[in-house]
Amino acid sequence: MSELIFTPVIGIEIHIRLKTDTKIFCSCSTNTDVEPNTHVCPVCMGLPGSLPRLNHQVVEKGMLAGLALNCTVQPKSLFFRKSYFYPDLPKGHQISQCDLPIVAQGFIEVHDANGNLKKIRVNHLHLEEDVGSLHHSASDGRLEGAAISFVDYNRSGMPLAEIVSEPDVSSAKEAVEYVTTLRRRVIYSGASDVELEKGMMRFDANVSMKCSDGRWGRKVEVKNMNSFHALERAIEYEIKRQKKIMLSGGEILQETRHWNDAKGVTTASRVKEFYRKFIVEPDLPPLIIDQAWIDRVTSMMPEMPDVRAKRYVQDYKLPQEVADFLTDVKDLSDYFEACVKAGANPVRAAHWVRTEVLRVMNEKQIRKVADFGISPETLTNLIAKIDGGKLSTTQAKEVFDYMSANNCGIDEAVKACGISEGGVAGNMLEEIIKSVIAANPDVLDEIKSGRDTKGKKLKFLQGLVMKEVKGQAKPQEVSQTLEKILNA
Amino acid sequence: MAELYELDLSSASEGLKAGKFSPEELFDSCWKRAQSCEKNIRAFITETEDFAREQLKNSGKSSSIFDGIPTVLKDNLCTQGIRTTAASKILGNWRPPYDATVWKLLRESGAILMGKVNMDEFAMGNTCGNSAFGATRNPHDISRVPGGSSGGSAAAVAAGYVPFSLGSDTGGSIRQPASYCGIYGLKPTYGMVSRYGLISYGSSLDQIGPFARTVRDLQLVMQLLAQHDPMDSSSFREKNPDFTHNPNVNLKGKRVALVKEFQSFTLDAPISDAMKHVEKILEDEGAIITEVSLPIISKYAVACYYALAMSEAHTNLERYDGVRYGYTVQDAKGIKEMFERVRSYGFGSEVKSRIIAGTCLTEPSRCEEYYVAATKVRTLIAQEFARAFENTDFILQPVTPSLAPKIGEVDEDEMKGYETDLYTLPVNLAGLPGLSFFTGYAGKLPVGLQLIGARWSDPELLNAGVVLERRLGSPKIADGGVE
Repeated sequence: MSELIFTPVIGIEIHIRLKTDTKIFCSCSTNTDVEPNTHVCPVCMGLPGSLPRLNHQVVEKGMLAGLALNCTVQPKSLFFRKSYFYPDLPKGHQISQCDLPIVAQGFIEVHDANGNLKKIRVNHLHLEEDVGSLHHSASDGRLEGAAISFVDYNRSGMPLAEIVSEPDVSSAKEAVEYVTTLRRRVIYSGASDVELEKGMMRFDANVSMKCSDGRWGRKVEVKNMNSFHALERAIEYEIKRQKKIMLSGGEILQETRHWNDAKGVTTASRVKEFYRKFIVEPDLPPLIIDQAWIDRVTSMMPEMPDVRAKRYVQDYKLPQEVADFLTDVKDLSDYFEACVKAGANPVRAAHWVRTEVLRVMNEKQIRKVADFGISPETLTNLIAKIDGGKLSTTQAKEVFDYMSANNCGIDEAVKACGISEGGVAGNMLEEIIKSVIAANPDVLDEIKSGRDTKGKKLKFLQGLVMKEVKGQAKPQEVSQTLEKILNA
Repeated sequence: MAELYELDLSSASEGLKAGKFSPEELFDSCWKRAQSCEKNIRAFITETEDFAREQLKNSGKSSSIFDGIPTVLKDNLCTQGIRTTAASKILGNWRPPYDATVWKLLRESGAILMGKVNMDEFAMGNTCGNSAFGATRNPHDISRVPGGSSGGSAAAVAAGYVPFSLGSDTGGSIRQPASYCGIYGLKPTYGMVSRYGLISYGSSLDQIGPFARTVRDLQLVMQLLAQHDPMDSSSFREKNPDFTHNPNVNLKGKRVALVKEFQSFTLDAPISDAMKHVEKILEDEGAIITEVSLPIISKYAVACYYALAMSEAHTNLERYDGVRYGYTVQDAKGIKEMFERVRSYGFGSEVKSRIIAGTCLTEPSRCEEYYVAATKVRTLIAQEFARAFENTDFILQPVTPSLAPKIGEVDEDEMKGYETDLYTLPVNLAGLPGLSFFTGYAGKLPVGLQLIGARWSDPELLNAGVVLERRLGSPKIADGGVE
C-alpha cells in the first residue's frame, strides 16, 4: 500500500490598519497613545442619529495598498452593514465593504518547497471599520465569565483593510513568506506602517487538507494570530492535527478554532459563530472612483522593493544579496538611498549601512532608522573623508561611534577623538621634526659624522617624530622631510 | 386683537421685528395656550420651558426671521443636553451630546424650543398612539388620533402651541398627521434636508420636514433647512434652492396628473369631494388635469417598502444594547442576558415585530428573495415615477382614504389599509417631495390632500401650495378640546 500524501490548502485573511490622520467615518484622531474613550465622537460611538461619512484619505490608502498587491482598483464599490451583537461594536453592525471591494484580483509571489516562484492570488482588499477594545477581569482575558469588562472605543472606527487570499498557500513557510512580502510591499506603498507590536496586522487562516486518496477535509478557520511566528506555528499545528484525524479515518469538523499562543494549540471556539447578515449601508453612497483618481494614486505609488533591488544591482553594482538585504526594510533602504543621493559611493555606503548603522541601532535598540541620530548626509561626509585619505577606516569608525553616542557633528567628534584629519604634514611636520632634532644634538652629530651607515639613528629620529605626532603623519613624508632638513 | 399664539410664523416674526410685542410676550402666549390644551392633547414628551426662557434672554440679537419664534421638535431629533427618547423606553433619560443639524440651524437663528413632542416609537406607526409616553389626541376632536408618526408635531401646530414644528417622514409620517390635523406638511426630496441627528428608522427613506399653518411658513423653514450638510453623506451638493415666497404665483399651463390605478379605490365622501373640488380649482387656475399610469408602483410598492424599511430598521436598532447609553440593567449574568433583558424591556411590541420582520427578511437564506429583490424593485419604482414626471408636473392624490379615525378604532378592511399605504409610501421609495395641504372641513374634522412633485421640485411644489391656499383658504387654529 502506497503512503498517503496530504496537501494543505490554505487561505489567509489579513487585517491591516491603514495610516491616516483620522478615523474612517469621522474626524476623530487615529492616535492611540491617549486615555481610553477620549478619541471618540457621536459617529464612532454609534450614538443615535449620527451618520458615517467616508474619509477620502482612507480610500487613497486602500488604493495604494491594493496597487502594492498588484490588484485592480474597482470603479464602483459599496459599503455594507455586517450585523452581530458585541459590546465592542457600538452600532451592532460593522460597516464593511465585504461584498463589493475597492480593489480586487492581485497576487504576491513566494517560493515553493522547491525554491521556485509561485503566485499566491489575492482575491481582494476591502475597507472596513475597526471595533473598540475590551478589557476583561476574567483570568483567561475573555468576555465569558468575566465579572467586569471595560470597553475603550478609541479603536472604534479606525480604518482597516482586510486582504483575502485565494487558497493558494501550501505550507506554513509559504504563509510566512506571503505575509512578510505583503507587509513589506504595503509599507513601501505608504498605505500603512504595519507595526506588528502595535497590533496593526492580524491574521486568520483557513486550513483544509487534500489527501492523495481523494478525500478532502473540511475547512477550519483559525483565528487570533497576531505575529508571523504565531501564524507559522498555528498553521503547522493545524496541519498536523488535521492530518492525524484523517489518517485515523476521522472527519474534520467545519469550525472556527482559536489559536492559544501560550499553549501552542488551537481549540474549538467556545462562542458560537455569530449569525451575520449584510444589507447595503444606506447612509453611505456607492464609492465611485474615476480613472483620473486612479491615475493620480497610481502616480503616487513608490518603487516596490523588488524593483528597487534590481536597480541597486544594475546601477550601483551591488551584489544581489546586499540589494535584497537593504530593500527588505524600507526605511533602511531609504537611508541608503539618501547617502547615495548625497554623493556617497554606493558600495561603501551599502557596507556602512549594513554593518555600522545596523550595529549601532542594535546596540542602542533603535527600532526606526528615523530615530537614528546620524543623518545620511553626515555619514556621506564621513565616507568622503576616508576616500579623501583624511581619515583611516579605523579612525572613521571611532568618529562614527562618538557621533552616535554624543549626537554631535563630525568636526566635534574628530576633535574629541584626538584625531587631526589627514595627519600632521607640511610646515607643521617640519616644525616638529626641527624641534625633535634640536632636542637630540648628539644624534644629529652622529648622523652628520657619517657614522650612522646603517641609518639606525635616522630611524630612531623618525620614531621620535612619529611618537610626537601620535602616529598621525605619513611615514614617507616624515622620512622625506627629515632628510631634507638634515641635508639643508 | 387676536391672541399672539394665533399668529403664523411670518406674522409673528413681523410683529417682533416691528416691536409690537416682545419674544417673551409671544412665548408666554404660546406657552399658556399649550398648557391649557395639553391635558387634552398630550403632545409633549418633554417640556423645555426653562431652556426656552434661557434662550429668550438672548432673543432680539439676530436678524433671522426665526429669532424669538417658539417651536417644538419631534422627539427623534437630537437636542444637546435635552432628553431625546424617540418615544421609546430603551433610550431612558438619554441626553444627546450634540444637536441635530436641523435644530442647530434653527437654534442659531434664534428659534425658541418649547418642547420635544410625541410620536410613534422610533417613528413606527401612524396614530401617535404607539408611544411609551401614551397617545396624543387630535386637537380638532380629542377622541380621534392626530395621525403619526409625527402626531405631536402636527397637533402642536394645529392647536396653536407654536406656529411651526419639525417632524420626519419615512412612509407618510409628516403628510398623514398634517392632513388629520388640518395643517400643511412637507416631506422634502430625499437629501434636501440633513438627517444628521435624526434617530434613524429606515435611513434611505427617512426625511425631516416642516409643519405650519401657511404654505408661506413652510417656504420660510425650507429656505433655512435646505442646505448642504457635510455631516450627512446623502445631503445634496447643488446650489441652495430658492423658496422665496411670491403671493402671485400661478399654475397656468402646469400639468397635474391623477393616478389611473388609484381611481377605483374607495374614498370617504369628504375626501372624494375635496379631490373633485381641487381638480376644478386647478383647471380654473389654468392647469391641465391629466392622468398617469403607475402599474409597478400599484402592484409592488407596498411590499417593497416594508421589506426595505424593516431591513434597514432592524440594523438601525441594533445599537440599543444597554452598553453605552439609555436603559440598561445592572444585574445581568453575562452579556447575552444583558442584551436580551435590555431589548426585551426597552422596545415596544410594534418595534419588536418590525425588528423580527427585518431580521427574517435579511436572513442569509431569504435575503436574495426579499431584501435584494426589494432593492431592485425600488429602482423600477423610481424609474416609473421619473417617466411619469416627463409628462406631468405634479401628481394629485389623497393622503389617506378616510378622515382621522377614533383612537383605538381598527380598520378591519385590509384592502383599505393597503390603499392607504399606496398614497404615501411610494413617495419615500423614490425620494420625491410630497406636500400635504389643507382643503377645508367636513364638520369639525379637517380634510387634506396631497400634491407630489419630481425630485428637487420642492420650490415649485410649494408654489403650487401657495395657489391652493389662496383659493382654499388657510386653516383655523383647532379648539384643542378647550373652547
